[in-house]
Amino acid sequence: MQPTDTSARVVEVVPHPLPYYSLVLDGPESWNATLPGQFVMVESSEGLEPYLRRAFSVHDVSKTDRGARIELLVKIVGPGTRALAGKRPGDRVAVLGPLGKPFGAAGEDPADARPVALVAGGVGSAPLLLLGRRLLAEGVRFDFFYGGRGAVDLARRETFAELAAASGGELVATTEDGSAGERGLVTAPLGERLAAGRYRKIFSCGPMGLMKRLAEISREHGVAGEAALETPMGCGFGACLGCAVELTDGRFALCCKDGPVFASDEVKW
Amino acid sequence: MSAPTSTDAPRGPDLSVRLGGLSLPNPILTASGTFGYGLEFAHLAALDRLGGIVTKGLSLQPLKGNPPPRIGEPRGGMLNSIGLQNIGIEKFLADVLPGLGRFPAQVVVNLFGYEFDDYARLAERVDAFPGIAAVELNVSCPNVTKGGIEFGHDPVLLERLVRSVRNVTGKPIAVKLSPNVTSPVAIGEAAKAGGADILSAINTVLGMAIDPWTRRPRLHTTRGGLSGPAIKPIAVRIVYDVARKVGLPVIGIGGVETVDDVVEFLLAGASAVQVGTALFRNPRTAENLVDGLAARLIEMKLDRVTDLVGAVRPWREG
Repeated sequence: MQPTDTSARVVEVVPHPLPYYSLVLDGPESWNATLPGQFVMVESSEGLEPYLRRAFSVHDVSKTDRGARIELLVKIVGPGTRALAGKRPGDRVAVLGPLGKPFGAAGEDPADARPVALVAGGVGSAPLLLLGRRLLAEGVRFDFFYGGRGAVDLARRETFAELAAASGGELVATTEDGSAGERGLVTAPLGERLAAGRYRKIFSCGPMGLMKRLAEISREHGVAGEAALETPMGCGFGACLGCAVELTDGRFALCCKDGPVFASDEVKW
Repeated sequence: MSAPTSTDAPRGPDLSVRLGGLSLPNPILTASGTFGYGLEFAHLAALDRLGGIVTKGLSLQPLKGNPPPRIGEPRGGMLNSIGLQNIGIEKFLADVLPGLGRFPAQVVVNLFGYEFDDYARLAERVDAFPGIAAVELNVSCPNVTKGGIEFGHDPVLLERLVRSVRNVTGKPIAVKLSPNVTSPVAIGEAAKAGGADILSAINTVLGMAIDPWTRRPRLHTTRGGLSGPAIKPIAVRIVYDVARKVGLPVIGIGGVETVDDVVEFLLAGASAVQVGTALFRNPRTAENLVDGLAARLIEMKLDRVTDLVGAVRPWREG
């Protein structure tokens, strides 16, 4: 499906504990075809800072009477995300999408009934809600590992917990400061369960350091992994060549077109 | 609104321009490196509305490009160091050019060489393709250490280089000028002496940015090319100087986004403009400028866009 460039209507900005919020947008019917892991390029400011659009994973999508509604889970990190936080219902923002390659299948082997692991580092949880919904619809059980520095970094934790429970799995939360869930890194409880051979696949999104570690863990345990990457991006559709990701074979792939989802063993971390 | 009373179809102002041997339906082109090979935009923009498309820089062999991070975003612009990643001239001619033939936009191929002889070899290779209206020599990319810019910063070498290309092609030759030199006029004059037909001004401005928290340069290559609104006054100044002093038609490039920007470059002496970084922000920028420019000419009561070229009214000579 070809992406569309739309002047989308802001429905609302839903605050989560700062610095997180959800931006809810109404747009065209074509958005309903958005697949888990895909993203949109959003113009956050009509001024000069930032000049370029920003890429956001589509967090959720739902049908409306006249089109589709998407939700973006956003962390305020700079002028663009700050400007979007100040949008009001009825405001218009330019949105190009959906873009990029989505998450793949839960596994190749239909006889493998083991659950899958979804692993989020902070706002990396954004694309994993839609993936969780897809897995639930496919009847695939999943555990959701949610790591952050503190409790505040586990935005929409309850929603993820409910979704995982509905699939027959559970939410495992960790924080570095111990303010929620287990104290420590999300890779610790994941590693224990992987050692027990519990999962058939790992889907992840988060800081590069986390995903690099996950790729190592996946390899150690012989478990396939897919990771949604975030890089600086100029255009989002393969024209500027700014979002290069180095692969293990030495080639540069484009995060926007060849990704943002990559097999974790094809990326040179 | 009442219907027009005349039976004649309303005629808009004449947007066509001629630069040396290059005729364009309108003066709005897309800049090299910002429009892919054209087809990346086919579903996002109306390619049939554009005056011309300048391809991503093409080299004899495919190039892998620079390691990431390749882009940064200082206020009002974009800093890049892509490193001329491209599919190579042969793949372009075989796989891309036929698809571009569907559109009336004139195709200009931007050519990049590591070695002196690469430029003539590339120009010779594309000479027989009627779908290519002109060549633009990239002798000004700041992001590759070898080739390219070595020729664009040395007037003696550049004159020889352009002449070597002139000897193998009848197509109009545009030379893309670097702003990172003391005298762009001297470089432009060398290009003219070598047989260039058009000057494209400017390529990106050499820049640098640092992340204050990680202390890392924003670009893996440390330095890169700055583009976008931040560099427009630099570009207008160079277009003004080059247009008046060299006497070749000029294509203005650098921060073009609004109709005012287009008019400003035309007044400074450009016969056409290339839209670059603004296309990333809005893929329809170029075609919107075609409409906007026509509307502006009507508002200014001008019949043809060429009336604006070089029509700046300086306060004093010089």
